[in-house]
Amino acid sequence: MLEIKNLHVNVDGREILNGLDLTLPQGEVHAIMGPNGSGKSTLAYVLAGKREYEVTAGSVTWKGEDLLAMEPSERAVAGVFLAFQYPIEIPGVATMTFLRTAVNALRKARGEAELSTPDFLRFVREKAQALKIEPEMLKRPLNVGFSGGEKKRNEILQMALLEPSLCVLDETDSGLDIDAMRIVAEGVNALRSPERAMLVITHYQRLLNYIVPDRVHVLSDGRVARSGGPEVALELEESGYTEFDGKAA
Amino acid sequence: MDLPVQQFRTKAEQAYLDLFETAEDALPGARDPFVSGLRAKAIGAYGRLGLPHRRVEAWKYTDLRARLTEVNPLVKADGAAVSEAELGQALGAEIASLPAYRLVVVEGDLRADLSDLAGLKSAGVEAVSLARALEKPPVWLKRTLAQVNPRADDAVLALNAALMTGGIALRIGEGVILDKPVHLIQLDGVGDPASIFTRNVVVAETGSAATLVESFGSLGLRLLQRNAATELRIGAKAAVKHVKVQRDRDDAFHLSTWLVELGADARYDAFQFSTGASLTRNQVYLCFAGEGSAADISGAFLLRARQHCDTTLLVEHRVPRCTSRELFKGVLDGEARGVFQGKIIVSPGAQKTDGKQMAGALLLSETAEFDSKPELEIFADDVVCGHGSTSGQIDEELLFYLEARGIPESQARALLIQAFVGEALEKVEDEALREALGHASADWLGVRVE
Repeated sequence: MLEIKNLHVNVDGREILNGLDLTLPQGEVHAIMGPNGSGKSTLAYVLAGKREYEVTAGSVTWKGEDLLAMEPSERAVAGVFLAFQYPIEIPGVATMTFLRTAVNALRKARGEAELSTPDFLRFVREKAQALKIEPEMLKRPLNVGFSGGEKKRNEILQMALLEPSLCVLDETDSGLDIDAMRIVAEGVNALRSPERAMLVITHYQRLLNYIVPDRVHVLSDGRVARSGGPEVALELEESGYTEFDGKAA
Repeated sequence: MDLPVQQFRTKAEQAYLDLFETAEDALPGARDPFVSGLRAKAIGAYGRLGLPHRRVEAWKYTDLRARLTEVNPLVKADGAAVSEAELGQALGAEIASLPAYRLVVVEGDLRADLSDLAGLKSAGVEAVSLARALEKPPVWLKRTLAQVNPRADDAVLALNAALMTGGIALRIGEGVILDKPVHLIQLDGVGDPASIFTRNVVVAETGSAATLVESFGSLGLRLLQRNAATELRIGAKAAVKHVKVQRDRDDAFHLSTWLVELGADARYDAFQFSTGASLTRNQVYLCFAGEGSAADISGAFLLRARQHCDTTLLVEHRVPRCTSRELFKGVLDGEARGVFQGKIIVSPGAQKTDGKQMAGALLLSETAEFDSKPELEIFADDVVCGHGSTSGQIDEELLFYLEARGIPESQARALLIQAFVGEALEKVEDEALREALGHASADWLGVRVE
């Protein structure tokens, strides 16, 4: 279970999260919605451990472990995965080399044997095929020259390979056309499991037609302003965020 | 007309003149008028120039006169045995074991016992000890020595000509295409401080193709002062790849000059990889003497502590339709300092010249420094020339992305540094060599290679 209690976070001296409480049980998918600037992406980065984000109060635990005390790589070992809204381009690092380094770093940290080259290649090929990722793409430097859709699919590929227990998807739908979104959503849905919790951050309801959440939380001014079932997302689609915009909760 | 010049000399400047005077009669070729004449002219030039200092534009960032306070005696080669294990230790196992025709120079002495002279001969390459060749220079050497893209204004090079005691003379015959690289291993000795002056003279005749790897390493000599020069004349339609791997001991001075001349429709690809020495000066003078040729001079340097590495290139486009490329990447930690000076001169009439240079440094500490100075002197109107320079730290966004995937911070940093250097290493076409340099980078970073 992910438990966030009274989380306060400053970025560049400005308070972005302001007493956020959230509980996400294993096996469930929760959506985080909210207007621009409500703190959605900040929440994603704080969970993954971005250094510039200063936690001034509150706690975050995953399966009872204190996430905030961990380095970013230790969080990944503990099962946290962030699918980036803007995946980073790294020239000079082949995608395949990166994937292999990451998979083996996690296996090593978890005390498992590293995968042999043929085993790893088989593993990647199988997962890549499901996401319609061409093998040629994996030879290119990481995300360099990838289209928006390719970058997002590459994020989901990493998620499939690293098999995290807590998936945080930060606006994975942004910049995707409907076909690309369907492929990505199928990839995500394939990973739904009773062992895994997912936090799907999105500005639009559209993605939630494909990834149907168990619960929806609406952020406003750095805290949860409303929680409910999937119907909340549909209501927001009708009424927009006006009700939540700039309103001090 | 030489006017007597009365000038102040530092102790070290004077010491070189004394060194020459003492050694002159015992230097190789002392009884050959061609060689002794060449040496006399060179020491005269040095006497007028003195050691270069920061007010000499080409030495702006490397004040040799200030840094060189003591001059070590000339090395005495003792012919001691060198084992494979010692070679691996000195050069790194991957470099030492490169499949190649090996030529080993220890303390300036070409060691027939460690070299594959017979293999080279049957492949169409004439390889002789320079020390021996100087005693009675063959005609081809007389037409080459100190005449490949010569410089009159370079004191380091003048000292080399005056005091050279060894190295190799190599002639790759017309149309000879070598099946594997020539690996010229240049080691110091052991024990007390010494100076080693070596010169290599290489002629690649018309239509030949070869890869020359020059590696420098240390058997443990203290405070080595190395002055190494290579002259390389590349004939028409010949193609030479020239790779240098330098890991001299970290208290050494390593002064290196390459003089390169390309004939028509020739190709030259050079790569200089430096991790060693306390002070390194890599100077390359290259000129295009025939039309339609292309040259690429690239490299990487990885430095820490107080290491200093200066790369200074002068590329002269004297004829039309030639292409030059330069790409250097430096990784600087501690208080290390990297210098890149790249000058391209396009002569009047050298139309359709295409010259580009790029230098970049990754600074791993607040106290590391990178100085980059591009210079273009263009006297023709139909040319394309460009340069660029970057310097920065590891990108925190990239680092976080890798860490978020479970790669520990130190490993993520190493991966990003290797990626940075890797862009330059891509220039090395020979796969075994490129991988060996990748290993050398990883060694430097203290990480294992997957």
